Amino acid sequence: MAVYFFRRFLLIIPTFLGITIMVFVITRFVPGGPIERMIAQAQQMQSMPGGTGPMSAQDGRNQPLSEEQIEELKKYYGFDKPVMASYGLWLGKVLSGDLGVSTRYYDPVWEMIRERIPISLYFGFISMVMVYGVCIPLGIAKAVKHKTHFDNLSSIIVFIGYAIPGWVVGVLLLVLFASHWEVFPLGGMISDNFDSLGLFGKIKDLVRHTVLPVIAYVAGSFTVMTFLMKNTLMDNLSSDYVRTAMAKGLPFRKAVFRHALRNSLIPIATNFGHNISIILTGSFLIEKVFNINGMGLLGYESIVERDYPVVMGILVISSILLLIGNILSDICVAVVDPRVRFE
Amino acid sequence: METDVILSVEGLVASFDTEAGRIRAVDDVGFRVRKGKTLGIVGESGCGKSVTALSIMRLLPKPSGVIEEGAVRLEDMDLLTLAREEMYHVRGKRIAMIFQEPMTALNPVHKIGKQMDEVFRIHFPEMANGQIREQTLSLFDRVGIADPGRRIHEYPHQISGGMRQRVMIAMALAGKPDVLIADEPTTALDVTIQAQILDLIRNLQDETGMAVIFITHDLGVIAQVCDDVVVMYAGKIAEKAGVQDLFHHPAHPYTKGLLLSIPRLDGPRKKKLNVISGMVPSLYELPQGCRFENRCPYAMAVCKSAYPKATRMNQGHTVCCYLYPRGH
Ligand SMILES: Nc1ncnc2c1ncn2[C@@H]1O[C@H](COP(=O)(O)OP(=O)(O)O)[C@@H](O)[C@H]1O
Ligand SMILES: [Mg+2]
Repeated sequence: MAVYFFRRFLLIIPTFLGITIMVFVITRFVPGGPIERMIAQAQQMQSMPGGTGPMSAQDGRNQPLSEEQIEELKKYYGFDKPVMASYGLWLGKVLSGDLGVSTRYYDPVWEMIRERIPISLYFGFISMVMVYGVCIPLGIAKAVKHKTHFDNLSSIIVFIGYAIPGWVVGVLLLVLFASHWEVFPLGGMISDNFDSLGLFGKIKDLVRHTVLPVIAYVAGSFTVMTFLMKNTLMDNLSSDYVRTAMAKGLPFRKAVFRHALRNSLIPIATNFGHNISIILTGSFLIEKVFNINGMGLLGYESIVERDYPVVMGILVISSILLLIGNILSDICVAVVDPRVRFE
Repeated sequence: METDVILSVEGLVASFDTEAGRIRAVDDVGFRVRKGKTLGIVGESGCGKSVTALSIMRLLPKPSGVIEEGAVRLEDMDLLTLAREEMYHVRGKRIAMIFQEPMTALNPVHKIGKQMDEVFRIHFPEMANGQIREQTLSLFDRVGIADPGRRIHEYPHQISGGMRQRVMIAMALAGKPDVLIADEPTTALDVTIQAQILDLIRNLQDETGMAVIFITHDLGVIAQVCDDVVVMYAGKIAEKAGVQDLFHHPAHPYTKGLLLSIPRLDGPRKKKLNVISGMVPSLYELPQGCRFENRCPYAMAVCKSAYPKATRMNQGHTVCCYLYPRGH
């Protein structure tokens, strides 16, 4: 087992290299990179009113930067070397803990990400607890009460949550609970007067800001996890070993909890790592709706703005999280299923 | 009720609600199990043997399986009208059951010792943990599990099919049941293991005096272990008889066909085995008359009219067939 996990950890390395090389190469060939942005910016400056007048787009004179300047820029961003050479340079820096500098804000990438991590962790953790804390019991109840009113009604609600994208749920929640009834704040993490509040007030303020986004985050995941739980439990309830347990004289309820449940948690555990990484890296649309500065929003903006050092930095962090999450899943599965021993 | 009868089934009708409508898997089945004796239920696969057994235990798959009519009496208690909670004290304690598939009948995520202990915990809540372990070990030893001290810490996937069936048998014995239902306990096992398990069940029966309902599709097994036999066909009883009577004086054409299809060592070699030609009718389109009529070499016009009533051949031997006029 230990050997297995050691191998899994070693496997992180090639996987990580694969992911980063792919994205790095893509950033090279997607139009609209940082150099082109600079040129465009400079062009804009030139064509501003009070500048050199109407542009004559046909001739080369509208090129605001000289060849040397462009070469200079390319050198600065490492675009002058072959792709793999500059990837090597980038990787070397990453390994020494340097994720580079944002081409948009000129801030160190690591610091930009570090600011967002606690926010993403906060929402991610709460969402995970909510998803597992609600879906497992709900799935159990639905399986045991299969085809009753309770089961049907909860299916409808859960499916509505699935059909509507999380950010739409967010907008709806804001319109209803923040704007119409004003029960919850309109967004952000904390109120403006946060610092002046007492400890209890601070907690209350944070909770009030958390409720709506968390609902929006988990609305979609609820369905998958609830039905995964319900369906695997139903399968297990009709399995031979549950029949054996009942034949021994165990009441149905105890047969569910002592026998069927643990077997049904196996697929849930398999999903765990996947959920970790999705939730931690957040959803930029929900973050945008609720005005939360998490990793999702940062990643989205940096892609749109071609802020490649930030894109790569987020990629590094999130792929490591994903890989570790997968190993965590494996550990979870091994804990609940004795047949899995990873030799 | 006769004093030597421990369990009796009367007029049992069990159905399933399926997408295509309700089907009767078991129709008007009745038999008596004598104390300390073995009743065999034989019939080809799909004829309703397991459904009969599960009906006795009230363990038909829910919600599709329903017992529509009939009575199952354990001594003087009708199990079918018993409260659900009272049934918990019957299962595993008065009537125990072992199943066909030892591979799936045990919970894959619990150690076998724990699964065994559970029976004691359910039925003997006053027993201390140490006592329970002691009992588990001695029962494992009794059913022929070598090195029980190590086995109790193993998971089902770590032991062989025959070993698992022994664990199932040990679990069934733990409650000291009056009746053991063995639903094709050897069908999934190798022939040598089969013989060992049959021996084991017979020996344990001698020791404990429990009655056994032994379900199989194999008449050879019936000959080895049973005192009385019920032959089922397409959800109905075709013939009931003592084992000697059945093998020496089979009455029902289906029983005769089954007996002819057993290979014999004393017969001429390479003789072609008898095959009952034709198909079992589907439970969705059952004929009005005798269900064996379409395959029966002796079929007559009357066979299509209604299912034949039981004719008594002699003491303990009845057959449902128009070849034997009632009052005979
Ligand atoms: N869960 C079920 N749902 C629907 N029909 C079933 C179910 N279980 C058994 N049956 C029907 O009952 C009939 C008898 O099954 P069973 O008692 O298991 O046969 P066997 O004699 O081989 O043990 C089968 O032909 C099948 O059509
Ligand atoms: Mg069967």
